[in-house]
Amino acid sequence: MTLAFFTISALDLLSSLVPNTTPEERAAYIDWIYSCQIPSGGFRASPSHDLSAVKDGSAQWDPANVPATYFALATLLILGDDLNRVRRKETLKWLRCMQRDDGSFGETLVNGKIEGGMDTRFGYCATCVRYILRGKREGRDPTSEEQDIDVDALVECLRKAETYDGGMSEMPFHEAHAGFTYCAIAALHFIDRFPWPICSQPSEGQRAFNKMPLRKEDIVSTTSSEQQGGRKTCGLTSPNLTIHWLASRLTATISIEDEEDTYADETDTPETCHDAHSFVHTANFPTSMGETSEKSRPSSHFALDWVGFNGRCNKVADTCYAFWVGAGLTLMNASRVVHPTPVRRYLLEQTAHIVGGFGKLPGDPPDVYHSYLGLAALSLLETAAQAAHESPREGLRKPMEERELKALDACMCVSIEAKSRLYAIWQRWGVHDGKDRDGGG
Amino acid sequence: MPDHAEDEAKYYDDPEWADIEPIQQADQGPNPLAAIAYTDEYAEAMAYLRTVMARDEKSERVLRLTKDVIEMNPAHYTVWLYRAQVLFATHADLHKELEWLNETASQYQKNYQIWHHRQLIVSRLCPDPASSAATRGPPFPGAGIDVDSLVAKETSFVASMFDKDAKNYHVWSYRQWLVRHFGLWDKGELEFTEASIEKDVRNNSAWNHRWYVVNGKEGSEGVKEEKVREREIAFTKRQIRLAPQNQSPWNYLRGILRKANLRFSTVQDFCIEFADLSKPEGDDVFSSHALDLLADIYAVDEGRNEQAKRCLLLLKDKYDPIRANYWQYRLEMLDKEMGSGIDSHLPEHETRNLTSAVSV
Repeated sequence: MTLAFFTISALDLLSSLVPNTTPEERAAYIDWIYSCQIPSGGFRASPSHDLSAVKDGSAQWDPANVPATYFALATLLILGDDLNRVRRKETLKWLRCMQRDDGSFGETLVNGKIEGGMDTRFGYCATCVRYILRGKREGRDPTSEEQDIDVDALVECLRKAETYDGGMSEMPFHEAHAGFTYCAIAALHFIDRFPWPICSQPSEGQRAFNKMPLRKEDIVSTTSSEQQGGRKTCGLTSPNLTIHWLASRLTATISIEDEEDTYADETDTPETCHDAHSFVHTANFPTSMGETSEKSRPSSHFALDWVGFNGRCNKVADTCYAFWVGAGLTLMNASRVVHPTPVRRYLLEQTAHIVGGFGKLPGDPPDVYHSYLGLAALSLLETAAQAAHESPREGLRKPMEERELKALDACMCVSIEAKSRLYAIWQRWGVHDGKDRDGGG
Repeated sequence: MPDHAEDEAKYYDDPEWADIEPIQQADQGPNPLAAIAYTDEYAEAMAYLRTVMARDEKSERVLRLTKDVIEMNPAHYTVWLYRAQVLFATHADLHKELEWLNETASQYQKNYQIWHHRQLIVSRLCPDPASSAATRGPPFPGAGIDVDSLVAKETSFVASMFDKDAKNYHVWSYRQWLVRHFGLWDKGELEFTEASIEKDVRNNSAWNHRWYVVNGKEGSEGVKEEKVREREIAFTKRQIRLAPQNQSPWNYLRGILRKANLRFSTVQDFCIEFADLSKPEGDDVFSSHALDLLADIYAVDEGRNEQAKRCLLLLKDKYDPIRANYWQYRLEMLDKEMGSGIDSHLPEHETRNLTSAVSV
């Protein structure tokens, strides 16, 4: 289901889905997705897991899968399906069962036990499924009468995933990682517990610049209080520190050769230090080795022509993090923190492959995952460039207004066009959410 | 990889599997999505797996079958869970399982399932390390476990995985679990992080593990405790002096100050060691992270907004141009805080040497 989503959504972003497929083919794709739906709610990840045809057999080893359900619903939307065949009530019920007592979500339910990891990826997929099926409003769903997930518990769980340096990790105390950070931020948007507004109130200024955690009473969701008249806890206790962490993911260390081992090397030069490409000045050196190394450095500041993103501090850049970090910053209302041009150049000139698609590192063969996220990142960069009134295609002849890629919704990771089909579907389902105000594109 | 190379069907011809009618994958129709071109071997193994899964069969032959499937597709999301249940139900030798995991881990280093499976096996071998008794539950091969020996083997295996990739996220996660499960907080973990950091001062995973060892134990105050804090600050400063442009220890230092609720200005003099802006004709900056921290110190703690602005401008135009937009964003926030317009460009005499700063 993952591969199906990446392929279909990529074609959609490229505006190539409709021109390159027939209505019959798209209908068949939709049928294929529905063939993976589990009667008790949710979707399996692939037909290879299907045990439904087994006579007198049990389906305990053919459980619904949380990420697969997100991919399935998202792909259906892209294909223009009206979600009429989705078992909405059953899926909402199953979704609740996928949440543990500590607020985290798992991957599958086997023999009544929630299995799989407990990180923010599952929280992201679960909250997106919830969003697609019932919007952001909390409480019992009036149409299906199904109870909601425990939103407060999930927020607590997400807060515990915050690290000492502002990112989010797989579990409390694990290392901050851009993928988990994005998933946490987007999940907070889906459940309307993102700490709006951030960074703009003078009263936050003192704490903001010292990057001290906001006090609990500062962290409220204004949209929730509109709906429910109460103050609800939000995630992201230190939004400015998170923006700092995300901005720190920009790096000129884009190839393995750049990422030389630094064992026992205390000098700081572009050859030996991660992120020293951008650090251009040294006056004195602690060692003579460092001084010699400095003398061998090139004199032109070429390294900033291509800028990528890494997923963790002091790691090499990887195509996919252009999305995880770029979208994370977009959702933090801070996409202007990234200068689009060198990132675009990195994607199109370094990690794009000659046969098409994108690989992880320059020279790597392309794969569907990096190709899709490379496109998604480029779409967000186009949006950011347009917003900054800067031409996204410097030196080329196309006018600024003409997008190459469809605009991406940074939260759902599908085109805004695909996401907008939800509104009519929500009307049919009696979901009254109004216009949402997330930072998604 | 499977350890046989025959072309003929492996299970179909095997008399041990004669009772099974394999379930083929349902026809996907003319237009399936992302149709995978399975090898015949995989398709056959999966067909048999589906059948035994549907029956929830728990037998030794299933162990061989699941091993086969795993070796061909370690990311299959139920086969590991199924295998674990079969291992426990058949009272299989879990030490042998660990040995097999040792072999396969090096092939599948980035696979989440393999580490979760390992955790299940080790938990089963030793569910309650605190108790002096070996294990609860029915006895099985490997019962009468020597906890110390198991811990030594596991930490040694983890260390060998780090030799291959010192930043493998799953392995560090697993190590954290080992520490928590076996209570290894004071059993050499701090020394292990020090050794890892000595090996590569830029290994952020090692820094993160250190934070965990110092602050992660339930009920422990971590760096809120003065003695611990002083030790950690001293350690961090030492590492920064080794490589001032390395962000990991700077993040660690900030983390300590935040957790202990200390003002950033307590390290102002330390920052100035690496970013001395007092020279009238220029500046002597060894570390953009020092400048960053100074910007925070001046903006908040000292009320010296002009100094803060200068730090941010230097970062934007000279010392961290890769993040110029971010430093501009910080300047704008500072401006809002100050309530006055700002000049977002360096004075001319400071930009004059911009390019020459790069050359020798």
